[in-house]
Amino acid sequence: MEFLTDPWNWWIAPFADNAFMRDALLAGLLTVVTTSIVGTWVVLRGMSFLGDALAHGVLPGIAIAFIIGIDTSIGALVAAGVMVLGITLIRRHSPLPEDTSIGVLFVGFLALAVVIMSTQQASYVGDLNRFLFGSITGVDSGDLQRQAITAVVTLVGVVVLYRAFLVMTFDASLASMLGLRPALAQAALLVLVALSIVASFQSVGNLLVFAFLVAPPAAATLVARRVPAIMVVSVLFGVVATVVGILISYHHDSATSATMALCSVVLFFVVLTVTATRRAIPGRQGAAKTVSSA
Amino acid sequence: MRQRVPLLVAAAALALAACGSDGEPTTDDATGSGGDAGTPSVVSTTTMWADITRNVACDGLAEVTTVIPAGGDPHSFEPSLRDRETMGNAALIVANGLGLEESLEDTIDAVEADGVAVVRVGEFVDTLPAGDVDHDDETGDTANDDHDDHGSEDPHIWFDPTRVAATLPAIADGLAGAGIDRAALDACVAEYSDALTALDDEISAIVEPLPVGDRLLVTNHDSLSYFADRYGFTILGSVIPSPSSLAATSPADLEALAALITETGVPAIFAETQHSSSDTEALADRVGDVEVVTLQTDTLGEPGSDTDTYVRWLAVTARSIVDALSR
Repeated sequence: MEFLTDPWNWWIAPFADNAFMRDALLAGLLTVVTTSIVGTWVVLRGMSFLGDALAHGVLPGIAIAFIIGIDTSIGALVAAGVMVLGITLIRRHSPLPEDTSIGVLFVGFLALAVVIMSTQQASYVGDLNRFLFGSITGVDSGDLQRQAITAVVTLVGVVVLYRAFLVMTFDASLASMLGLRPALAQAALLVLVALSIVASFQSVGNLLVFAFLVAPPAAATLVARRVPAIMVVSVLFGVVATVVGILISYHHDSATSATMALCSVVLFFVVLTVTATRRAIPGRQGAAKTVSSA
Repeated sequence: MRQRVPLLVAAAALALAACGSDGEPTTDDATGSGGDAGTPSVVSTTTMWADITRNVACDGLAEVTTVIPAGGDPHSFEPSLRDRETMGNAALIVANGLGLEESLEDTIDAVEADGVAVVRVGEFVDTLPAGDVDHDDETGDTANDDHDDHGSEDPHIWFDPTRVAATLPAIADGLAGAGIDRAALDACVAEYSDALTALDDEISAIVEPLPVGDRLLVTNHDSLSYFADRYGFTILGSVIPSPSSLAATSPADLEALAALITETGVPAIFAETQHSSSDTEALADRVGDVEVVTLQTDTLGEPGSDTDTYVRWLAVTARSIVDALSR
């Protein structure tokens, strides 16, 4: 119970005393900003499965980029692009529902990544481990810079495309009529998702970045109605999860990325419990909240 | 209900704000010399190098701790934030290098960038290439600092005590840089070098009775190349043909290996304690009449066991190998 009885030493001292903890926190916070803002749209548009598929689908791109020696982010983005193209193609040429086409490509890309790695004599596999689980202990200023740039790019992207995203989420036909190019906007959203995933490799890793794409925004939709509010609340929830996760990981020597992911999911359930309980209390004006586009 | 959210947020904000408005100068731990009055704290990645470093430091001139605990696997070990703190507070880090500590590398780099001295002992020995090694092929590869090659060199250099002896001066240099008396270090290096020479002779004596034709090694992954190189063994092959324990095996390779084992009649094949030996055991089942012997290859034993120092560990391991092959 030290976090209550000795708050200074539990909450503050680790960050005050250690530069690497501040760096880890910064990496986590930048991840939260990027993933929460983009993740809000993932949740609102019901794209969670696609988000998860993208998160893992970038792996073969990274594997190949690593082997031929180019920047892994480029490989990741290319892989994401190919995956999205594949999904679109399947949808166009078959009566299959979208989640099937996503599922097929998801597992195909993941398997491809493992096959590629297994053909390599040399041990790149340790690096693959780092991609999967992150390496928040190895954060350096270059990583932080890249994350900051990505955060800015996604922020700008979401702001610029806000209207397009909004209308196409709540009224797709209206979007076309208004000339907001929903297909293009959807593509742009996927690019932003891919960017936010790639930027999070160092802090949370590939396996668990999905937790940050989905859990804080999902919790936020339970307490906020307007989209800008959802985004802000989502970031705040993500920040809480990150801070608590890093501190628990530090004090109890647990895996950092998994602890942060767990915290964000636990926070979601806490919020869910609170909101559901309030709604269940008789006499309350607790009509089910719908997210409004107002 | 909306009150909850601001409350949560305020709590978090307060915590972070308090951190920022903190008037005290933050202590940066980058160049800490740790420990109590004067004893520099040294962090080693594996238990092997911890023990070796302790000996170079005359068993008390430095406080040596290990990141990867006894029984852990260096190939897959991932550091926690606490480990990062310990490493950041050290005066010196002793690492194997050559791609052994795969998931520790970028943390070590980050700590080095913060100003902590790092010795990668693998840079100071003649290395063997990774992968299928024909032990007659003594190319005498000069120690190539090829961190970018990600494991093109076999990192298991500690299986050869003469190579370990070659790293002692570098470790001593690192310890001297941390402020330990050079003369004392030199004396202890000489003493431990003698111990390693004695170990080398002891193992040669253990190996000698085994006919050269019986000195055949089949392992779970490429861990015994340096032992083979030093003591005249041949590596028949590995279940996982890579020095990294994270690589996987292939059925075709296993077939070839099974055939080779049957053909040469080798009585035992070797697995490692830290990794799943299911592939090796399946191979043994398939071949029949071959024993699977488990070795501790990448770690020392717990303190108090018969393999808790480097010298004892290598002697016990050599004895296990020879006994297994002498059937």
